[in-house]
Amino acid sequence: MGDWPRPPVAWIHLGLLRRCRCVARAGRVPLEALNKQSVLNELVVGDTSGKLLVYKNDDSKPWITRTCVGMLTCVAVGDVCNKGKNLVVAVGAEGWFHLFDLTAATASKADSSSQHEFLSFEDQRPFFTQHIPANTKVILISDIDGDGRCELVVGYTDRVVRAFRWEEPSDSSDLGSGQLVLLKKWLLEGQVDSLSVNPGPEGLPELMVSQPGCGYAILLCSWTQQDSSGSAEDAPATPGSEGPSRDVVLHLTTGRIHNKNVSTHLIGSISKGSKEESSTCGLFALCTLDGTLKLMDSSEQLLWSVQVDHQLFALQKLDVTGDGREEVVACAWDGQTYIIDHNRTVVRFQFDENVNAFCAGQYTCKEGKNSPCLVYVSFNNKIHIYWKVELERMESTNLLRVLEEKPEFKNQLKMLGVDAEDQAAMRALVANILYKDSQT
Amino acid sequence: MLRELYPFVEDSFSRFPSQSNIYGLCQAGEQELLAATLKGKVVCFRYQELQQKIRPVAREVQFTYIPVDAEIVSIDAFNKSPPNRGLVVGITFIKDSGDKATPFLNIYCDYEPGSEFNLESIAQSCLNLELQFTPFQLYHTEVQCDDGGSETVFLLSGHDQRIHPLQGGQLWMSNASLHQFEEQPVERLFPELQQLPSNVLWLDMLSLAGSRRLSAFGCQNGCVGLALVNQTGPEVLQSWRVQFDSPISTVLLFPLSCQTEPHQPSGETSVEMKGYNLLVTSTIEMAVVYRDVQECGLSRSMYLSESDQWDAVLCALVIDLDFDGQKEVLLGTYGQELLCYKFHPAGSGQFQLQWRRSFKSPLLSIIYLDLTGDGLKELAVLTLKGLHILQHSLTSTADLVLERLTQRVSALTAGSELEPAKDQDTEEKDAPSKKEECAAHTPSN
Repeated sequence: MGDWPRPPVAWIHLGLLRRCRCVARAGRVPLEALNKQSVLNELVVGDTSGKLLVYKNDDSKPWITRTCVGMLTCVAVGDVCNKGKNLVVAVGAEGWFHLFDLTAATASKADSSSQHEFLSFEDQRPFFTQHIPANTKVILISDIDGDGRCELVVGYTDRVVRAFRWEEPSDSSDLGSGQLVLLKKWLLEGQVDSLSVNPGPEGLPELMVSQPGCGYAILLCSWTQQDSSGSAEDAPATPGSEGPSRDVVLHLTTGRIHNKNVSTHLIGSISKGSKEESSTCGLFALCTLDGTLKLMDSSEQLLWSVQVDHQLFALQKLDVTGDGREEVVACAWDGQTYIIDHNRTVVRFQFDENVNAFCAGQYTCKEGKNSPCLVYVSFNNKIHIYWKVELERMESTNLLRVLEEKPEFKNQLKMLGVDAEDQAAMRALVANILYKDSQT
Repeated sequence: MLRELYPFVEDSFSRFPSQSNIYGLCQAGEQELLAATLKGKVVCFRYQELQQKIRPVAREVQFTYIPVDAEIVSIDAFNKSPPNRGLVVGITFIKDSGDKATPFLNIYCDYEPGSEFNLESIAQSCLNLELQFTPFQLYHTEVQCDDGGSETVFLLSGHDQRIHPLQGGQLWMSNASLHQFEEQPVERLFPELQQLPSNVLWLDMLSLAGSRRLSAFGCQNGCVGLALVNQTGPEVLQSWRVQFDSPISTVLLFPLSCQTEPHQPSGETSVEMKGYNLLVTSTIEMAVVYRDVQECGLSRSMYLSESDQWDAVLCALVIDLDFDGQKEVLLGTYGQELLCYKFHPAGSGQFQLQWRRSFKSPLLSIIYLDLTGDGLKELAVLTLKGLHILQHSLTSTADLVLERLTQRVSALTAGSELEPAKDQDTEEKDAPSKKEECAAHTPSN
């Protein structure tokens, strides 16, 4: 394991986060890149006082601030209305669902830059709110049934997961006229800490939720078997009709004996890079608070397992090597961060403070383009962004090994009469080529 | 824009249990580093080859006779001058037993054949010297002995406004050998270091052709001294002094060759302006380079602009970072910045800030050495928190090597046909410059 530090090149002071007082609750402050379709990503932060903050570039002041009802527990960005437009979803613990269209704000703000940021009260409010069952914990916007349209999945602190779909009258063009309609409710045995979608063995998306003790469950979308058009309207009226146990397929991973109740996180759809592979089984990773990390594929094959002595509380994926394969990024409460590739090569990074919330992804911090970023929210009201987290390779190596992989190097050595097996001669040759003017 | 020029990729970082200082890092042998931390711990850093993989390894070396309450001041190591073999490590520390702080110098080396370079056994063989002064920098240099051979000696600067040379005595007794270092009178080996104006914080020496040497020192009161010395004698040929307003953090002597007219006809040698230069960094003023010191003394000064913008400059290095044959100046500051200056020979010649890079804690010491054993050197940066290893971007360096190899191969084939090709210009230009370099450096080695 190589340690790998990087200086904090941008940090953002977040005065409003001071109301994140509870550790467990603060861990739920969600961060999400806002504008997924555009080239330049923003950072969306929700806090426990109900403020929704959007950051841009390395500006330490929020670019947009919105106020929501209640304590925000989850924030997500996605095309939840299936209009081809990314919207920001913020859900409070009390069950208030807020929908914001910040792409409109982008346009108006660009126009009225001279007018001292004058925004009417209307603009600041969500264009849609709805009350859904309370005690929300995690959300996911993704296509979970393979119909090409996004659904909204909400995980609850009472071990329930509900799936919603945005429905609106067919004659209406106004976004605000639609509403969320419950598709299905699943009841699980253990706490749900993360929701994710992963391609199953047949290539269809599978909704996965984490279960305590390094377990996970696949939730079946039974409405796809029934008639898909009409049932959605009836579903909210008959919440007990789903038969929760049968549509939950619980998987407990094998290996080291775990604490059966230990908090577990999960992330799916980890990119494998090459195209032919990605068509079949999806890769997903699991991590637990007692330090187990696993990478598996959807046929339940274990690719690797790593045991660390740090309390892992957040799991993300990020391509730091730029080869198209996403590395698994796990963060511990004490700031220790692990970046692990598919071959189980580990790079560690120590963030010097305790971590309140962690996120990894593409963000435009500087230089006007997206780069892989690690985002840490510390307990002293600051967001630290480590930008351009790029590695040429995960493992230490030297120049001779890199050169040996190039066929023309061998030919050139032959022509110069240098023995490729003689390390000392090779070393002298490289030193001579690079530093010919300096003394040896 | 500055960021793009930065040629390094961070390969590893080793966190240290306690902080170090500007005298806390040294090279030990070919591919190892020793870093001393305040609380008496010495860490050996190297790359280990294991199962076809190279891994950075930082492990603590248990040097004997360093008490638990010791605070390490400085560390230095050298390989003995031939015909002797072996690594010598010197560590100065202050043992604070409560009532009275006692400074010591421990010197470690092993005469046992086969283990002269084994750090573990060297660390067990100690010569313990009690000092009468608070130690500062521990430096080493090669001096010529009366019998014509050469020998490496330690130079320890102290709080008593003096520099103490320590020469190793070879007391060979039948098969047992006694490990001995004795303080020599400074006037016998280093007449230029007598009657110093203040405590010396940093010392640097450079051997020149014709058994001469340049020695420079920087003092706590801001005085910088430079002397040209004939090693046989030894006698001081010339000496210069200059006064700064703040303590001197480093002085560094270095040769700098540059091409005045890059596109001259190949009849005249295009490499010119090869002279020795002195870099002086002080704690509040801008860093200065004195050009051609053996000719002009301290009269031709050039400031490194902006070098005072990031707090005190604590460490400096002059190396060729971009493989163009011309050296760049690297400065590490307490303000957590690594600065790189490049010499632009056009016009009057100036050093311009090429790039800078922020670190997470103050930079204390920098060394450029080949840790990975591939001929390509890495930059080791000691900061208050630990040791960073910065490696040149291997992808781009590999491309450069291949490109130069292609040139070399084509020059070889063209040369055998006795028909100089057009694109051989660069090679021709390099050839004389190389010879000149060799001529200049062989005697000094």
